[in-house]
Amino acid sequence: MEAKARSLNKKAVAIALTITSIVLVLMMIFGVIMLLNQGNVVKISPQLFYQVMTIHGTGMVGIAALGGSAIMWYFLTKYIHLNPKIYFTNLFLSLIGVVMVLVAIFVFKFSDGWTFLYPLPSASAKIYGSTGALLFLFGLLILGVGYLIMYFYIAVRFVKEYGSLGKSLGWDYIFRGKKGYGPPAAVVASTMVIIANSVGIIAGATALVESIINILNPHITFDPMLAKHLTYAFGHIFANCTIYMAVIAVYEILSEYTGRPWKSNKAFLIAWNCSTLFTLMIYTHHLLMDFAVPQWMLIIGQIFSYANGLPVMVVTAYGALMIVFRSAVKWDFASSMMFLAMFGWVAGAVPAIIDATIVVNHVMHNTKWVPGHFHTYMGMGVVAMIFGFMYYFNKSEGTQKQNGFDKLAIATYFLFFTGLAGSFLYAGKISVPRRWAEHLPEWTSSDQAGVICGIFVIAAAIIFTTRYIIGLRNIGRQPQQKKSYKTAS
Amino acid sequence: MYQLIAWYATLFFVFLIALAFSFVYGESRKLREYGPIQEKGYKIRKFYFLALIAVMGFASSLTLSRLPYHAQHAKAESNAKVVDVTGYQFAWDLSDENFSVGEPVEFRVTSKDVTHGFGLYDPDLELISQTQTMPEYTNALTVTFDKPGTYKIMCLEYCSTGHHLMIKDIVVKPKGGK
Repeated sequence: MEAKARSLNKKAVAIALTITSIVLVLMMIFGVIMLLNQGNVVKISPQLFYQVMTIHGTGMVGIAALGGSAIMWYFLTKYIHLNPKIYFTNLFLSLIGVVMVLVAIFVFKFSDGWTFLYPLPSASAKIYGSTGALLFLFGLLILGVGYLIMYFYIAVRFVKEYGSLGKSLGWDYIFRGKKGYGPPAAVVASTMVIIANSVGIIAGATALVESIINILNPHITFDPMLAKHLTYAFGHIFANCTIYMAVIAVYEILSEYTGRPWKSNKAFLIAWNCSTLFTLMIYTHHLLMDFAVPQWMLIIGQIFSYANGLPVMVVTAYGALMIVFRSAVKWDFASSMMFLAMFGWVAGAVPAIIDATIVVNHVMHNTKWVPGHFHTYMGMGVVAMIFGFMYYFNKSEGTQKQNGFDKLAIATYFLFFTGLAGSFLYAGKISVPRRWAEHLPEWTSSDQAGVICGIFVIAAAIIFTTRYIIGLRNIGRQPQQKKSYKTAS
Repeated sequence: MYQLIAWYATLFFVFLIALAFSFVYGESRKLREYGPIQEKGYKIRKFYFLALIAVMGFASSLTLSRLPYHAQHAKAESNAKVVDVTGYQFAWDLSDENFSVGEPVEFRVTSKDVTHGFGLYDPDLELISQTQTMPEYTNALTVTFDKPGTYKIMCLEYCSTGHHLMIKDIVVKPKGGK
């Protein structure tokens, strides 16, 4: 029974990773199409551009969540029993949601972006018809339900195993003086994600329902500022939680490769508790240019956005450096990607924190500086963690070995992703607005540089994906002995 | 100015981070006991933590006194010229389009349909000020133009398929000029 559950859990993770890797490549191609149009290299209609923008944003965040959840699920099964039916339910609901979103965008031309602001879908529904808008909104709602089911199930399992979510977040050690180490890092991180992302998804669902009601009955209206708070609470938390799920791979893989345990000591537990609280609080940094919001709330947005950088910079990234330092770690695809992903995350946090400074935000909000920083920590952070985990999964569960192509692909991916993110940040520096289908001639050179970098990033991602899918054939065929990943020295 | 500060500060801090990761990577092939590394690492981390707090505290104290919200929250009447701005899909309406260098202007910005973003660009295409443009809300933003020329108002919040068409030119005359 237990063996069957284990096997099904691995199958679920393999399916999720396969979908993730293919969709990632597709979404990257959509990203380059947008840059080609902005750079005046090819011409597509503004309508199509904004449809592509909508699928790129929705697809990337959705797929980062799916890949992150695969990592979280895989490693949690090392510590607690998880019923694979729950993960399959989430996968199934995600699939239904994705089909609805795709039909909405490509058949009914829905193009309001993934963080649409109420009442935009209602306004669009009046022009393009309500079917597309409703399909998109209900599609997202179904996706959210899938994640809530998974989170609530894991929460119940944690309560059963550890006593409460407070205990799985280490409160016994922080507040009650319990000695020793807290629950495994994967459990602590997952608890944070369950709490924060459930709140975020419920906020998002409320905003979705408001838009749906307004489309069905335009006489029922809602406060656009409240809807904006709900939308950004959802968008900010959901996007951030993709990192917090994926980082579990860093804890597990670097610890295994170095032979050094990544234990949840008091500083680690305090950091994750702070992350839980701050992640819930700091979405207001998306509203810094909403002057009607109370000033204290905006100042909190700045100060706690700074503070939210501390757990990752002082505990997780520093911990990654410490665990690798003089460890004789074996550098292969998985360990290299985890190490570089930590760099990507922290490097992306720098321009993000700077942008959370109100006076800076005043002249950089909604310029390409914003996609500049989130592409850094999503592309070079979360996505790198997911690609690294894909290799680790095939290696641990099958017979995958690193070859020369992998090394070349890693170097290409990080080098050109740095260029891509740099081209966005530079565009932000020269005040290029984000989400514009057409760019003024003064702006196009940064787009063209982004195109060149993007093409190389796609090439590397195709290698990662192909290698992963080919490697899947050997899953379970030749179970490997547990071995040391350290080099002989 | 802030764009330049943001750019160079990012380059500087990312360079420092890259340096730290490179150093650790360079040392990673050696093997030493983890206990002493942890002990020393935790000591260094205390200073690192305090240094980050100091940088963040310094940045906060320097910037929080210069917030752009004064016009929105000021109780006293200002002597700025008031210009009502309305955004709609996909254009801008201004109640007054006569601007001169040195004259404070309070833009009172709202929308009559969906959310837009009021972004003010100077003649060199540098974003100098912005506020959100929301239905049912009015955001007040004070700007004093410091050089003559053609400025542009551009939409900075995605508002549907004509978003990039929301550009309006305004001409700022020299001080006292016509």
